[in-house]
Amino acid sequence: MQKDLESKFLLDFEQNQNIVHKVCRIYTTNQDAHNDLFQEVVIQLWKNYSKFRGDSKFSTWMYRVALNTAISLYRKSTRSIKTQDIDNFAYKIKSSEYDDTEELQLKSLYKAIHELNDIDKALIFLYLEDKPYKEISEALGITQVNARVKMNRAKEKLKNILNP
Amino acid sequence: MDLDTYKKTWGNQPEETNSVSKIDIYKMAHSKSSSVVKWVFILGVLELSLGICLNLFIPDSYIDVYSDFNLIGFLNYYMILSYIIIVLFLILFYKNYKAVSAVDNTKKLMTKILRVRKTVKYYVYYNLIGAFILIIIINSVMFSNKELFAKTLNPNNLEVDINTLMSGALIIQIIGALMVLLIIWLFYKVTYGTLLKKLNKNYKELDSLEHLK
Repeated sequence: MQKDLESKFLLDFEQNQNIVHKVCRIYTTNQDAHNDLFQEVVIQLWKNYSKFRGDSKFSTWMYRVALNTAISLYRKSTRSIKTQDIDNFAYKIKSSEYDDTEELQLKSLYKAIHELNDIDKALIFLYLEDKPYKEISEALGITQVNARVKMNRAKEKLKNILNP
Repeated sequence: MDLDTYKKTWGNQPEETNSVSKIDIYKMAHSKSSSVVKWVFILGVLELSLGICLNLFIPDSYIDVYSDFNLIGFLNYYMILSYIIIVLFLILFYKNYKAVSAVDNTKKLMTKILRVRKTVKYYVYYNLIGAFILIIIINSVMFSNKELFAKTLNPNNLEVDINTLMSGALIIQIIGALMVLLIIWLFYKVTYGTLLKKLNKNYKELDSLEHLK
């Protein structure tokens, strides 16, 4: 029973791990912290996996747990954070089918997101991932109206950082 | 450039090159969590057990002093009551800790983490107020029996003015109490302050959303 659950979890996670990588990229600024947060998300997901009933998609559930871990549970690593890492680590992405302009855009987007506070980061992330307001408000535990108001403010902040 | 263009770029971003293998995911899933809640829990257990340890390690000679004032019976009742209250706090603390789940929505999760922390805070308040009341009761009993108190403070019957002796005892107690308060305050500032700084900030940020309307 436990083995079945475990292998199902490993498969589910492996297929959706990119979500967690993205969350780690926006909430951390160096590779060590990225790995730490990634590991904590895996722990939290596995800890709660038996409670996952499958009434929502695994990925939806993953968004929530990953963001919760980043915002509330993760303790920033005590290791000194080297800011110069920001430019290098987050974008080790396959650039073959990706043109330079897009890569530069993505870089400045990540850089701008890093300047937002934790809650705004979550809002912007869910916007970029094209999540409906219903899901956003449910994930954060605020009303849809408030989610909209706050989202507009977060977008405004992001725009100002991107186009000063 | 508008945000929609960035959104498109975001959507086109390739998958992470350092994807984690099943074996590594398995290893990670079975490693120990180092979450904020876990640290709040460990600190809480330490604090709750500190109360118990203090009760257990009070030297007998310290208690003997009170027997002269017929306070032993009262202190025993107080001790039993303290243990009952500590057990109640432990149950409450554990229940609150177990209720924390990463599956909840963000706001609920934060509220639950802060509730675990609050249990410990109330426990400390209880201890401080309890100790304060106890000191007042013991002192009023002792000070109301001046001669016996003077004898206890000055067992070798040295020639000292009784009033100087008693005000000295009072000052020492006040300084002691202030120092204990200072240590507790510093402890809180350093431990929970650092641990929950981020959480408190995020909670305020999220909570302020509720008052937007």
